[in-house]
Amino acid sequence: MSAIVEVEGLTKRYHKRASKEVVTAADGISFRVDEGEILGLLGPNGAGKTTTIKMICSLLKPDAGRVLVRGIDTQRHRLRALRHLSAVLEGNRNLYWRLSVRENMLYLAGNRGVSARVARPKIDALLGRFGLSDKADELVNNLSRGMQQKLALAVAMLAETDVVLLDEPTLGLDVGTGLEVRELLRDVAAEGRTVIISTHDMAVVQELCKRTVIISAGRVVADERVSNLLALFATRGYRVSLGAPLSAEQERRLAHTFAVFAYGEPELVLNVTLEHPEDIYRLMEILRLERTPVEDLGRTQVDFERVFLELTREETGRI
Amino acid sequence: MRRPGVFNVLLANLRKVATEMRRYLPNTISTVVTFYAIFLMFFLGIQVLGAPESAETNTQYVIVSTALWFLALMAMQGIGWEITLEATRGTLEQLYMSPIGAWRILLARMVGTVLVNLLIIVLMLFLSMATARQWLNLDLLTLPILLLTITGMLGVGFMVAGLSLVYKQVDSLLQIAQFVFLAFVAVPLSALPLLELAPVVKGADMVRGVMVERTPLTGFSVFDWLSLGLNAAVYFLLGIFLYGRAERRAMNRGLLGQY
Ligand SMILES: Nc1ncnc2c1ncn2[C@@H]1O[C@H](COP(=O)(O)OP(=O)(O)O)[C@@H](O)[C@H]1O
Ligand SMILES: [Mg+2]
Repeated sequence: MSAIVEVEGLTKRYHKRASKEVVTAADGISFRVDEGEILGLLGPNGAGKTTTIKMICSLLKPDAGRVLVRGIDTQRHRLRALRHLSAVLEGNRNLYWRLSVRENMLYLAGNRGVSARVARPKIDALLGRFGLSDKADELVNNLSRGMQQKLALAVAMLAETDVVLLDEPTLGLDVGTGLEVRELLRDVAAEGRTVIISTHDMAVVQELCKRTVIISAGRVVADERVSNLLALFATRGYRVSLGAPLSAEQERRLAHTFAVFAYGEPELVLNVTLEHPEDIYRLMEILRLERTPVEDLGRTQVDFERVFLELTREETGRI
Repeated sequence: MRRPGVFNVLLANLRKVATEMRRYLPNTISTVVTFYAIFLMFFLGIQVLGAPESAETNTQYVIVSTALWFLALMAMQGIGWEITLEATRGTLEQLYMSPIGAWRILLARMVGTVLVNLLIIVLMLFLSMATARQWLNLDLLTLPILLLTITGMLGVGFMVAGLSLVYKQVDSLLQIAQFVFLAFVAVPLSALPLLELAPVVKGADMVRGVMVERTPLTGFSVFDWLSLGLNAAVYFLLGIFLYGRAERRAMNRGLLGQY
């Protein structure tokens, strides 16, 4: 498979106007995206996701590094590269509030050089697919945030580009609309488009993406298939049900030995992540100190959220 | 592929400007009323204070200058507000995602704004002429002069757009600009010949020449046309050049969107 988007060593520093402070928002970010892939760009708030997305869209000039889209350098041949790109960025959803749903689509397609005659039937089809047909003549100002988000997505679809970038597509949506938007995204992906989704919503990545690039403090800390990440962490996580509470000394030793452990008192459940397989013996030694009865021992069901928290914690230092 | 694309951009922007003007008709009407009121003020001033022998010419001068001022504001100032608003709404970034090029879209937006507002200007002209019972010389010769004048105005529009892009808080600057533009369209060149180097002034002077002083085609020298054409070309190209610089700066600092 060939890469359709290649991100090489992107670095961006912002100079804050007021404080003269320099923020390194991206620090040598590199990854590749294959054609037809849905890539999740995951990271906590302030990690540099939006900065990275905007550099890929050539809305922001990197201090170093480059982006190739279908082999075209987005800085040297900006307009040519843009033929392959469309994006829904965060913020107020990139729409004209004083125009209706249909007028927005017509206008934004027009700005890409598409005539109204060509755009109209496509717009009708998209409005139907996105469940917006009965809102076609409603002003965007009067739409709910979820509707606006769906419309922004429809506008990006209308551009019919190979690559679609979405910055936090489910941010600020209620549960139902979030679900609906994820449903639509799955649909979009099924068309064979390449999609890059930035998010800190683990559900989006777990449901939609095969691969994820996790960034923290402007650096890539993981670039893996989602299933691999889950498997990797699944082999390391153990869940121990105890017959008696742990002593203070045991807790102290656990904290000293394991970077990641959690202990719940009334349930008497201990969750611990082992960095090496032999660590299981050290765990047992600590339990034997007080002859704490072990009632059950098993692998933990890892969810993606924990994987994510652990990866980004390792990067930023223990909390 | 490129040429029809640009044409569609122009049509789309014309449609947008016309739609918004229709949708916000009360706004449109209040602008017209404001300018009509401004004209009335000058008109009454001339009746009360001015010398009776020159009252006719003065009135016509004021009618044309008011209309030109309105045109200048539409062509040069509106784009400043729009850039600031669109940067905060996130739509500016969408314009910058167009493979046609954002500056072409902005140009189309300004041209659309001017074309749609020309209708209002014609309406205002007739309203003012009827009020004053003064009939201006409506000669086709005005058209080429106006076209070149507007070209220069668009250049200044790009400069305003560039400033708005980089500095965002340009409201007060735009307020002041209104009066600078008034000076450009209203000060007679004979009073301050150096102003010929400023944008718009030469064009405004020639428009008044035709409409008020009834100058025929033969009344302008080659130098008049050369000055007008050169002025328009220089300001237009300078505007686009400076906008390009502002754009690069904005892309470096992440100013196209809100932060
Ligand atoms: N235009 C800007 N000017 C100055 N600092 C910025 C700008 N945009 C982002 N930052 C800073 O860069 C860092 C990364 O921001 P961002 O890319 O928005 O992260 P994310 O999208 O992952 O939340 C943050 O510390 C943010 O404050
Ligand atoms: Mg962000």
